[in-house]
Amino acid sequence: MSEIRTFPDFLKRLIIVLGGLLILAIIIFGVLIYTVPAISNFNGILLESLSNPIVMLNYLDSLGVGINSLFFKIVVFPGYTWAAIIAAEIIWFERKFLAKMQVRVGPLYAGMIGGILQPIADVSKLIFKELISPSRSDKLIFFTIPLLVNAIGATLLAVLPVSEGWLIMRSEVSMLIVFAVIGFAPITVLLAGWASYSKFPFIGGLRGLHQMIAFEIPMLIAALSVVLLSGSLDLVNIVQAQSNVWFIVLMPIGAIVFFITLLAELERIPFDLPEAESEIVMGYLTEYSSMAFGGIQLGTYIRFYALSGIFTTLFLGGWHGPQFLPAGFEIINQIEWFTIKTLLVMVTIIILRGVNPRFRIDQLLRFSWSRLLILAFLNLFIAIFILQMGWFPFGGGI
Amino acid sequence: MSGTPEIKQEHPKREKKIADNIAVKLKKDILDIEIKPKRIKVKIKHQSIKKAANYLKTVLNLDHVVSVSGIDYPNDNEIEIVYHAGTYEHKDLSDLLVALVYRIPREKPKTLTLTDVWPSTEYDERETYEMLGVIFDGHPKLEKLFLPEDWDDIPPLRKDFKNPGR
Amino acid sequence: MSELTVSIGPQHPGAGHFRLIVKLDGDKIIEVNPDPGYVHRGEEKIAEYRNYIQNIPHFERPGIHDSSNMLFAYVQAVEGLMKLEVPERGKYIRVIMAELNRIISHLYYLAIYGIFVGHSTMFMWPMGDREHFIDLAQMISGQRVGFAFLLPGGVRNDMPEGVKTRANDACNYFEKRLIEYERIFMNNPIFENRTKGIGKLSKEDAINLGVVGPTLRASGVKADIRKDEPYAVYDKLDFDIPVSKDCDSWARAWIHIEEMRQSMSIIKQSLKDMPSGPVKLNLRGQVRAPPGEVFSRAEASRGTVSFYLVSNGDMNPYRIRLITPSFRNLIAIPHILKGLLLADIPPVFWSLDYWPVEADR
Repeated sequence: MSEIRTFPDFLKRLIIVLGGLLILAIIIFGVLIYTVPAISNFNGILLESLSNPIVMLNYLDSLGVGINSLFFKIVVFPGYTWAAIIAAEIIWFERKFLAKMQVRVGPLYAGMIGGILQPIADVSKLIFKELISPSRSDKLIFFTIPLLVNAIGATLLAVLPVSEGWLIMRSEVSMLIVFAVIGFAPITVLLAGWASYSKFPFIGGLRGLHQMIAFEIPMLIAALSVVLLSGSLDLVNIVQAQSNVWFIVLMPIGAIVFFITLLAELERIPFDLPEAESEIVMGYLTEYSSMAFGGIQLGTYIRFYALSGIFTTLFLGGWHGPQFLPAGFEIINQIEWFTIKTLLVMVTIIILRGVNPRFRIDQLLRFSWSRLLILAFLNLFIAIFILQMGWFPFGGGI
Repeated sequence: MSGTPEIKQEHPKREKKIADNIAVKLKKDILDIEIKPKRIKVKIKHQSIKKAANYLKTVLNLDHVVSVSGIDYPNDNEIEIVYHAGTYEHKDLSDLLVALVYRIPREKPKTLTLTDVWPSTEYDERETYEMLGVIFDGHPKLEKLFLPEDWDDIPPLRKDFKNPGR
Repeated sequence: MSELTVSIGPQHPGAGHFRLIVKLDGDKIIEVNPDPGYVHRGEEKIAEYRNYIQNIPHFERPGIHDSSNMLFAYVQAVEGLMKLEVPERGKYIRVIMAELNRIISHLYYLAIYGIFVGHSTMFMWPMGDREHFIDLAQMISGQRVGFAFLLPGGVRNDMPEGVKTRANDACNYFEKRLIEYERIFMNNPIFENRTKGIGKLSKEDAINLGVVGPTLRASGVKADIRKDEPYAVYDKLDFDIPVSKDCDSWARAWIHIEEMRQSMSIIKQSLKDMPSGPVKLNLRGQVRAPPGEVFSRAEASRGTVSFYLVSNGDMNPYRIRLITPSFRNLIAIPHILKGLLLADIPPVFWSLDYWPVEADR
């Protein structure tokens, strides 16, 4: 492939790529039209739907990608596209909000209002960078890490109960799924540090491993008290058990413990040691560039959204909220309340970033193993006490 | 630059007293003493540097060294080493600096280190070593400090080293 | 894990242009060897090729944040040899510029401290507030950073109109801000965790190693050239020297904040007490020191800066020895880092206010 040196070169390359894509699309579409009968009358449906959109919706239903289909839920809403949009906007919001706290302006130029297209500009820049990796690194593991990080975020999204009826997957053991996935996260950190074959990422990977493992246990125990009180491992049931009173009122200590461990699992300040810039360059992410880095950032922010959603589910009453839309739109009402609460949690986490410096690794581990663990157990005993006293019926107010 | 002091003007009392004490103690080793307000300059023979330093530290309580300077005198074929010592503990002597000065031959610049008397001279002596070529016997780590490891020219602060481009 | 030798720097966000060769056992530091010299310019050698006036912008470059204080010692050395007496108004303006430089340098110190503990707000706020004082310095001298404002015989020019009101506004605003700094940055439990009790330098060690500046004062020794050997009009002004007995990194940061308060008080007093009159002697460019030698000291924001000037009557000095406070504090680095953890290195070594350019000259 020839190098791009001038603007006419760039235009030529662009035309070649677009032309190639167009030809590819025509070939594939042509093959499909003759083999899959459902698509063969696509043109007719297209014309009809210009005057009557329901026709298009029915047609998509028949293809299996309609609004109520699993495909739509996973890919568009409340699945990956929705999470990616929230992730992008949270990146923008974080930068703008932190800037205001720090007497600065933040992103300003990209997009019409206050730099709102800044994340897209960043992603475009990342795409054009060169994808390099250290020469002696293990290329297979090195380039699988972005996929793994995204897989963790996506799995958490899959069990997130956005509303009562309409969610991606409802399972009787969704809490266990959440914890299995969170338990897998330290392995990605360690692998990223190890596969980079360099001193600073290695130290960062080890630190990340220690930190995440240390904070998982208080997280588990705090969530265990929620499971006790609601009597089920199913996230939907947990939310339904909070229809009268949210669990944060019954178990404030547990909520605080879970919130702090959340910060540690997400590696956010004050717990962002694995990426501590001033000491180990960028920690286990040092050697990642271009879209590998972009993929990891996307996965990290999706995990941010997903774990905040889990916090909302466990302690803030999930989708419960006063109905302010007319009847028949309950689902949208529920989705709205869920989103508002999750966004509030994320904003709180961002505020904490602006006010705090960073912990040192041994202080962090000591904090987790001695203080948080004790508080989590205390919370467990409180939950058992509440159950024994009969103040909260087993299974909630269903 | 040498001078005969004690003739021209009235000397400040405190400095005069200290200078007299030094003169009494280190009789034959002293070549010259100059007294100015807040500054006493004691020129000694090269061999008695350790004795003078110990006296300054233990009796006069000058607990740290502010600077170690080396000055190249190619006309006299000598290098002059100056130690400026001061004190933090004694508040009434806090503005006084005593300078210990001695000269060594330029061709064989070897002398004793004073890091065992005053630990604060460690990096200064290293710098004087690399800039003027003075070798301090007994220094814990006499290596290059600022110059690159592959420096192969004469020590830069000597007068016969010309800055390139001048 | 067995022993590992790691180089912190010179290309490292936590070091600056300076290298530390660290021997680690796991995360614990066994030995530290500082390796300065990456920004060595040969200032002392270059000074022998320039005359006394050309040396003024030359000698403010090592500690550029602090230029008036570095030059204070230099011009006093030259004036000592030439037996010049600076007019009163010149002395007061010198003191005002020196204290402004002290505040500017201390705010820079706090900002970089913030980066090293991972607190980005602690970087942004001091840098933003610094602009007030840099603007004030620009109003007086015409430059934002390297003023070269002090001359043998006085200062370059008089202050324009409006400096007094603007300085009072800036000081009032910043005094309120300092209270917020203490609440958010100094009393933050995580910050205290990172710095209290860490990087201790006992009083005997501080005196023996000959450290200077806030490092010395944080170890309990009340030594400041402005009080011990007063120069310019410092003996007429009323200010305090903050001293702490804690000897750790938190105490050093605290002393910087207290010194800024004292500097603002000095600025306000000077603006009030300043007499009118000329600000410099009219030397007509004839600045040539007679044969002799002189050792002059001043209190820069990082510590004591000393000049040892030997002259043989030429247009250029025969030998100038420049001892900067960072060079004096270099010896404390291996001492206080022994036994700490790797993550402690940036906050602790920066708390000494070690500026590599100044130390290397």
